[in-house]
Amino acid sequence: MLELKDIKLSYGSTQVLNGVNLSVKRGDVVSIIGPSGTGKTTLLKCINYLVKPASGTIAFDQIRMDYQRADKAAIQAIRLRTAMVFQQFNVFKNMTVLQNVMDPLVVVQRKSTDEARDIALRELERVGLSAKRDSYPSQLSGGQLQRTGIARALAVRPDVMLFDEPTSSLDPELVGEVLKVIKDVTSSGITSLLVTHEMQFAKNISNRIVFMDRGVVAADGSPAEIFDAPSSPRLAQFLQSELAFQ
Amino acid sequence: MFDTDILLQDTQEILGAVPVTLGMALTIFVLSTIVGSIFALVEYRRVPVLRELIMAYKIVFKGVPMVIVIFLAYFGLPPAFQFLLSLLGINFNAHETPNWVILVIAVTGCIAAFQSEIIKGALNAFDTGQSDAAHSLGYTNGQLFRRILFPQVVLTAIPDLTTSMMVIMKALSLGFAIEVVDIFAQSQLTAALNYYYLEAFVIAVVIYMLIAYIVTQIADRLEQALRVRT
Repeated sequence: MLELKDIKLSYGSTQVLNGVNLSVKRGDVVSIIGPSGTGKTTLLKCINYLVKPASGTIAFDQIRMDYQRADKAAIQAIRLRTAMVFQQFNVFKNMTVLQNVMDPLVVVQRKSTDEARDIALRELERVGLSAKRDSYPSQLSGGQLQRTGIARALAVRPDVMLFDEPTSSLDPELVGEVLKVIKDVTSSGITSLLVTHEMQFAKNISNRIVFMDRGVVAADGSPAEIFDAPSSPRLAQFLQSELAFQ
Repeated sequence: MFDTDILLQDTQEILGAVPVTLGMALTIFVLSTIVGSIFALVEYRRVPVLRELIMAYKIVFKGVPMVIVIFLAYFGLPPAFQFLLSLLGINFNAHETPNWVILVIAVTGCIAAFQSEIIKGALNAFDTGQSDAAHSLGYTNGQLFRRILFPQVVLTAIPDLTTSMMVIMKALSLGFAIEVVDIFAQSQLTAALNYYYLEAFVIAVVIYMLIAYIVTQIADRLEQALRVRT
């Protein structure tokens, strides 16, 4: 369904992605783990072209694009089939919760206001935010902001959900409410890529774990393969430090 | 020392200059905000060449005293207009350009450099994560600007734009140098006829303060109404 080949990207003189290859099948829930600064978030942002890789190709079903000859139509087509949940929530601050979820449906997907409202209300109920629909972002907790971001992403009916460290900016007591929503989403069968440092959570919800290290995919396997039989000392060391911390 | 009998008579005369002053101030405010916003967007988007030109423009117009710019415009703009009009084959005597038009152009040119900094600051204060979110959802740059960026930037800029309005009001008093009569100039003229200088300038002070109060109140209420939303 989604295939990334030989993705390379650098920020100035720092090589962040050094030839990443990743393929995702429909229905996969793939958790991407790895030390900070190894390009996990950057890789997610490459998929919807929020950052521009220096080289590499992406294939999304019938859509194919070489990043060196990126074209607007392909970028837009991919963006319309993916939805991203951000570490910093990135909800629109000038809109209520309901407007945040409705706006992309009206503005981008050209749905009628009534239809957009119905969809938005359903998604807000799904993430447990119906009561807060008329609140502005400044009136919400971090967990509520992130659930707004998830509802907004779900409302556009994406083929692939991209979660970028969705709980990293949250207070510990708010992490649970967001993980519960993500678990509900991923268990519904939607293809998902999740960048996370929540190792136990990744192990529980994913059918694949990708370990990134120094800008490449260093290990790729089932949760059992990755967690129970790490294939490299680097992976074993990383898991040990993460699990010990948690 | 302070003759109260003259106050009513003088007030009526000086108030006569208020509509003209406000009209010019509002015109300059709107024009300089538009020009300043374009400058700020060019800098924000880092448009090559234009960005460098605008930086040079800002150094000149922020650094040179406004009264010099007004004099340069007074002596330089009519011949420049005349030259341009003759190139276009239009028969018009640009030397008859009203002085208030020259003042509006000169002050707009100066204030635009400051407005540009205000808008640039508000643009820089915008949380760019929202742009990422909008682009990832398929918003075009235009949709992002209209729906998300513009409403937030305006709100951030309101306090500084209000200050600009007051700076413009005060800058217009420099127009007396090229015979444009605003509130200050009218006070001067009124006092010159009856020699009640102190009274005339006190009236001018009160009028300026009232205008400042009203402008500030309007801006505060607008900001409060919009602030609830963010």
